[in-house]
Amino acid sequence: MPLTLLECDVPIPEREKHTYIKKSGETIIPRCNAQTTPGDLTERGCTYAGCMGVVGGPVKDVIHLVHGPIGCAYYTWGGGRRQNLSDNTGFHRKYCFSTSMQEANIIFGGEKKLYNAILEAYERFPEVKGVFVYATCVIGLIGDDIDKVCKNASKEIGIPVIAFSCEGFRGVSQSLGHHIANDTIFEKIVGTKEPDYLTPYDINIIGDYNIQGDLWVINPLFEAMGLRIIGTFTGNASIDDIAMVHRAKLNVMHCQRSTPYICQLMEEKYNLPYMPVSLFGIEQTSKALRDVAAFFGLEEKAEKVIEEEVAKTLPEIEYYKEKLTGKRVFIYQGAPRAWHWIKLMEELGMEVIGAATTFGHSDDYEKIIERIGDGALVIDNPNSVELKEILIKYKPDLFISGLKEKFLSYKLGVPFVNGHSYERGPYAAYSGFVKFAKDMYTTINHPAWKLVEGRA
Amino acid sequence: MRQIAMYGKGGIGKSTTTQNLTATLADMGYRIMQIGCDPKADSTRMLMGGKMQPTVLDTLREVGAENVTLEEILHTGFGGIRCVEAGGPEPGVGCAGRGVITAIKLLEALGAYDEDLDFVFYDVLGDVVCGGFAMPMREGYAKEIYIVASGEMMALYAANNICKGIVKFAEEGEIRLGGIVCNSRNVGNELALMEAFSERIGSNLVHFVPRDNIVQQAEIRKKTVIEYDPTCNQAEEYRKLAKNILENDKFVVPEPITMDELESMMTEFGVV
Repeated sequence: MPLTLLECDVPIPEREKHTYIKKSGETIIPRCNAQTTPGDLTERGCTYAGCMGVVGGPVKDVIHLVHGPIGCAYYTWGGGRRQNLSDNTGFHRKYCFSTSMQEANIIFGGEKKLYNAILEAYERFPEVKGVFVYATCVIGLIGDDIDKVCKNASKEIGIPVIAFSCEGFRGVSQSLGHHIANDTIFEKIVGTKEPDYLTPYDINIIGDYNIQGDLWVINPLFEAMGLRIIGTFTGNASIDDIAMVHRAKLNVMHCQRSTPYICQLMEEKYNLPYMPVSLFGIEQTSKALRDVAAFFGLEEKAEKVIEEEVAKTLPEIEYYKEKLTGKRVFIYQGAPRAWHWIKLMEELGMEVIGAATTFGHSDDYEKIIERIGDGALVIDNPNSVELKEILIKYKPDLFISGLKEKFLSYKLGVPFVNGHSYERGPYAAYSGFVKFAKDMYTTINHPAWKLVEGRA
Repeated sequence: MRQIAMYGKGGIGKSTTTQNLTATLADMGYRIMQIGCDPKADSTRMLMGGKMQPTVLDTLREVGAENVTLEEILHTGFGGIRCVEAGGPEPGVGCAGRGVITAIKLLEALGAYDEDLDFVFYDVLGDVVCGGFAMPMREGYAKEIYIVASGEMMALYAANNICKGIVKFAEEGEIRLGGIVCNSRNVGNELALMEAFSERIGSNLVHFVPRDNIVQQAEIRKKTVIEYDPTCNQAEEYRKLAKNILENDKFVVPEPITMDELESMMTEFGVV
């Protein structure tokens, strides 16, 4: 089957290019990473959201200072909503910093205000190791030289002050914000510190944001194989660790949408190779451990770790597989998890009947289409009207998406799991897989769904 | 109340012409408010006898928008003219265009647009570089535009560009071009060229203000010509300009010309 047009999209026929029904043998990639079509009530975020909210924000020991009107800061603060956990809970995500630019600051320029804000924030929190300054739309328009201000402020307070030129209006989605964050962190932080010592077994975990503690179940696996993790990018990361990541022997790349940029930059400049992995589900996690082990010649250790972990988790997974086999699931994620999880669902005997991403690029869709079954729907950047039609028409047993879609799903009586910030995660690696399976099982079988009227 | 905005290339003499014009109108008994829309804040200098007054935006910055009073920012100059300077940021920082919008909105909120006024004049920064500087052209503000120009290529080029802006606003509102005011630079064949240009864009030459050293003499003494020497010939010229504007009934949507047309005009009149 070719590209298709949903019924609700009749007034926006351009959406057909973004909507594909998989058929083996075809080489069709839905249109993606493109300007939003007028009339399409896109759910995309902005470049600032991608830079601050996704990549920069998880760094745990810097002040995240939003240079712009107060709303830009509050609505992206993420306190309590974002689940990028860190072990610096007394500070990280607890406070929200903004220059709170107002009319007179816009007219007369905000450089002085920014400079003073950096100094004031540092005075209040002298224990921080750096300051990240994010430019919102209006800063780009009035032309505040945030690089210069940050440089001067850094001289004054003696810690790194990093300017991110991530004005919201740049780019077609939050995806450009990831790229800008990667480039800026690479340029201004990576390589500015050296580890005390090096080992032949040093790695970084790139592209994991420690959602509900994913890294706390991922890292021990690599460490048990005898590897040392220099830095994570950027879940639970210290700016000091990021400064030293260039000395690792291998970058293990998990999120392959928000971080290939920095992996490629490190490969070019430091000759540091990177390895894309999936750390979801038994099969993919085991493969990732084996691939990384092969790079270091640690195959035996890896097999031991895998054997132990599988022995622990497989019985539980078998239990949930029995309950979940045959269930049909629709996955809508930012980008890579839509394809990371197709294999994971297969392990549980589930069928992915549709996959969608908010800001995926063509390589994400290639992976989705390669993995998903014939007849499944693949849709780029769906809006809530389209999602409603899909949920009603395809009647999935489970919808895995984010907070924005949760209540649409609930209203339609479609069991829902929050794949963005999780329910009772973490969901990564072996033990996370069990939790993920349990969340899916409990929501699908919850008696509340019988009470929902007009279930889809 | 007639609201008039004066536009034109930077350095062409907009502020000089506007102040001499408003001083003349005030001398005739009209009640006027003049609003300088330029961060340099020198639009009403001669009317105020050289006294620098606090600008709207400086005051707003110091005391906050809710605490600004009309007394602080509106000062009476020559002939009872109510003088306001919008002000704005130093060169190279912030957003002067936003400043114009904010200043005008604040003046409105403070009741500066008194019903007793016969005229409100806006003296706007040379190049309409962004939406902010087009603020006086928006619905509800100036309905008449006069462009100050001279017989020099770049002055006419700027005038033609301003016409393009007027066309855009005229499509949706009542704004019209009242005409071209020539502030003469004594370039060859200037009167004929200015008349021809005005006609080509579908408008008319409101007045040809000749070049006269007395303007500068007065300016050095921080006075308009009408105040400095009301009997001189140049004062008479400004009276003619004022009279023509008072009696003007030709308000048009201009028809801007192409660069090629402009260049061939310059050649035709022997300026190039």
